[in-house]
Amino acid sequence: MDIQTRDLNKIVVFDISGDLSRPSGVSLHQAVKSQHERGMRNIILNFAEVGFVDSFGVGEILASYISTQHLGGKIKLCRISKKLYLVFQVTGLIKILEIFEDCESALQSFEAL
Amino acid sequence: MDDGRLYRFLRRFADIRPQEVRSALYLFLYFFLITFTYYIIKAVKENLVIGINPRLWPVADLITAVLIGFVVAWNARLLNRLPRKTYASRTLVFFVSNLLLFWFVFWLQPRRKFWISALLVLAKTSDVQIGSVLAFSLWTDLFIAMSVTQFWIAVNDVFKIHQVKRMVGFLVTGGLLGGIAGSLLTYGLVHLINPVNLILICPATLLLALVVVNFLHAERERTQDGSTADPAWAGSGIGYLESFRTVRRDRYLRILAGALASAMVVGQLIKYQFQFIVKSNYPNPGERTAFLAFFFLAILVISTVFHLFTTGQLLKRFGIRLTLLVAPSVLLVAALVAFFIPVAALGALMVWAIGTRGGERIFDTTVGQSVRELLYIPIADEIKYKAKIFIDMFVSKLGTGLGAALYLLLYYGLSLYRYVELPGEPLGLAVRYFGLPVVVFAVLWIVLTWIIYAEYLGAVKQDLEEKWPNPDKLIQAHVDMDSTLLIFELLQSRQKSSTLYAMNLFRLKQMEKLTPEVMEVLTFKEDELKAKSMDSLLGVGGEVFYPGVEEAMTADDFEVMVREIVALPSYKQLMERHLVGAGGTKTDTEVARMEAARLMGLMEPTPGVLQSLARLLRDPSPDVLNYALDSAAIHLQKEHIPLMIPLLGNPTTRQAAQYALAAFGPRIMDTLRKHLQDRRERPDVREAIPEVLTRFGTQKAADILVAELCLREPELEEALVQALREIRLEFPDVLFREQKISEVILSLIRTNYAAILSAAGERPGGGARPTLPGAKAAVDLRTKRIFDLLTLVHPPDDIVKAYQNILQGTKKSVDSSLELLDNILDRTIKTYLFPLIEDLPPAEREHRLKKLAKGLGVVSS
Repeated sequence: MDIQTRDLNKIVVFDISGDLSRPSGVSLHQAVKSQHERGMRNIILNFAEVGFVDSFGVGEILASYISTQHLGGKIKLCRISKKLYLVFQVTGLIKILEIFEDCESALQSFEAL
Repeated sequence: MDDGRLYRFLRRFADIRPQEVRSALYLFLYFFLITFTYYIIKAVKENLVIGINPRLWPVADLITAVLIGFVVAWNARLLNRLPRKTYASRTLVFFVSNLLLFWFVFWLQPRRKFWISALLVLAKTSDVQIGSVLAFSLWTDLFIAMSVTQFWIAVNDVFKIHQVKRMVGFLVTGGLLGGIAGSLLTYGLVHLINPVNLILICPATLLLALVVVNFLHAERERTQDGSTADPAWAGSGIGYLESFRTVRRDRYLRILAGALASAMVVGQLIKYQFQFIVKSNYPNPGERTAFLAFFFLAILVISTVFHLFTTGQLLKRFGIRLTLLVAPSVLLVAALVAFFIPVAALGALMVWAIGTRGGERIFDTTVGQSVRELLYIPIADEIKYKAKIFIDMFVSKLGTGLGAALYLLLYYGLSLYRYVELPGEPLGLAVRYFGLPVVVFAVLWIVLTWIIYAEYLGAVKQDLEEKWPNPDKLIQAHVDMDSTLLIFELLQSRQKSSTLYAMNLFRLKQMEKLTPEVMEVLTFKEDELKAKSMDSLLGVGGEVFYPGVEEAMTADDFEVMVREIVALPSYKQLMERHLVGAGGTKTDTEVARMEAARLMGLMEPTPGVLQSLARLLRDPSPDVLNYALDSAAIHLQKEHIPLMIPLLGNPTTRQAAQYALAAFGPRIMDTLRKHLQDRRERPDVREAIPEVLTRFGTQKAADILVAELCLREPELEEALVQALREIRLEFPDVLFREQKISEVILSLIRTNYAAILSAAGERPGGGARPTLPGAKAAVDLRTKRIFDLLTLVHPPDDIVKAYQNILQGTKKSVDSSLELLDNILDRTIKTYLFPLIEDLPPAEREHRLKKLAKGLGVVSS
């Protein structure tokens, strides 16, 4: 897994590619915490290039969500696969995570705040 | 003097901000001029009242109590109809004209013109005199009640809750200084001019107050971006009855009114006790007037000194509740002391009277007035003004009237007048009898004060709303984490092998997580996949799946069948040989080892199985390790623990290792403590341990975490604080030692002080530029941690809401947050924390931090 970040005003977009899974060994949560240390609180996770998400990946997403939310920030997900969306539905995660079809909408939702 | 200089000057006397300077100064002058005027009028009034029969003293108080309702109604109507500036200006002009009229009446009386008697309803000259004195006494009461109410309305219009709290001492000082100046002027001039002519000074001072009020409102419009809208009253069509209903409907206001009325009864009865003791000690009117003038001047001076050095300190040190209790407690003790004074000891009674009346006046004009005004602050604007006028003007006078009625009842009903008026009778007995209702009402005052404090905090909290939901609670409410992770595990395994998938499916079934919703996803989507020939929704790789495996798994007898098989001795023998010999060796494929690891969880814990499992707990593949950890969590073997703990350090196995170790239960705590405290242990292993302890939720787990936190290792801090926060949320019965938590909080505050001061020191010109972004983010994260720690020793919801509102609230809710914290936090913590969280310009913040840094032990660069 690889994470590229870009700043858009006070929002950071994480362009994630590859699998968000145990073998990738990259910690999404650690990357999110680094943004907190820069004072960034609003983050978009772009899943357009993500192939597979396992329980490790979900744990990373949730840990990122919790630590960001505690600081008064928000994490939003965009362009997740149908499969992931379906599993989020079954597990109730769509009630918690803000998920957008495209990243532009996610960005606009931040700007509307 | 420009605003900057003025600010630096005023900062010596008040906790003031640069943008508040002008408004604070105008309010200070406004209050000064009102009390200056009042103390001139008061001396003239006292002089006139003392001249009439003592039996008529309560009459003026009773008349005031009866008539005040009409005045409140009139005042309420004015407030309702007029813009605040016009209302304040017109009432001041009205008072000026009244004063000129009274002076004219008093000036004319000695001249005994025949038409004056005719004008005053053909009354006898003596009746005219008494009538005009009682009218002037009544007017004086109304003047001070209305003027002070108007002043505090202006304060509430201009400042918000926490601003008022900071500046109340400064503003009240203005009033006290005005009183001293007025008394001194009166004392100096009374020997030179007729006392009645002193009244003529007052219109001039009130006209000056009029000018100040206009400046104040101009400043208010300027600072509030030209907005001239007055809170609450504009166009609301509310009158006196509505004000009464407002108080009646609101429990907080009813208690506030009750406490004030009790205080007024106590004050009134003490005043009468004082008056008859003074009358007995000073029968000569001249000597008595001189004594009273000196007494009131002394009280004002003492009040000013007391106020300057004590009121703020009392509020800071003891908070609102204890400060509120000072006056009723002292007066209760004073009333009880009277029972131990010999009834005929006039000298001792005089000392007691001076002490008690002096104390009552000093408390009332300093602590009492300041704190009373604070109690109005959390009330919503739309009802505050209605209630304030009713309580301040009507209820307080009702209390005075009740005191006067009790006086008359005791004076005549119990024939106490004989102890006061007949020579040779023991005056001390009258003091004792009058002391009984004082005791009763002082106790009532204490009780109501106690209740109102709890209500006060409730009212403050009403302003605080949750700005964002607590993510921990949200996840707890909406997501079953165990099933979520299992479902993802299941889907992952589908990509690897059908055997693994079946095993995981069975595990899900065993845990009763194979719900219809999950089944629907697993079966329906597979059909969809086939029908539409789309890309894999639940990708299965190239392996062939047995169709309908999910339905077969839900059959009732399936689980029984599996159990029966794994219980067979032949199965055990064969599988053990397989696991030890083939499955689970490094030469096997990763998938085979994963299957073996999963299978071990299904099997009975024979030595062979456990040995194989131990080998898999050392496997290089994270996927295998996760399955092995899952099986280890089922068998709970002590010898696996040393193999599991290092897996906490690997992010890919951490979660499963935490889960597996937590499955051992609290008996593993000592082992975990050893690893947590061992500084030679890998930091990432130590960081993962607090989360395991969280799951036990015991007092011992919390104590281990707190003890480690006290050692102040920065790299562990986040994990420890997060774990403690979770314990607090999920196990509210666990207790935390406030002293230890406070030490950590102070240490974090100290680090923040050092960071801010160090960043300021690195910049040319100090605080002119904002702090560096990285340093600021670190300060913010530590501040969040401080609030997380505060949730351990205070109601978590209150602390979380306060934090959220300070971060993202309105001006009012930020203020309410600070007020709430001010009331619940330890004095030391709030002293050092507030400059970090208050909305201050960077330079001002740095100035405050520098001032406090030494006391905190911060060495700034």
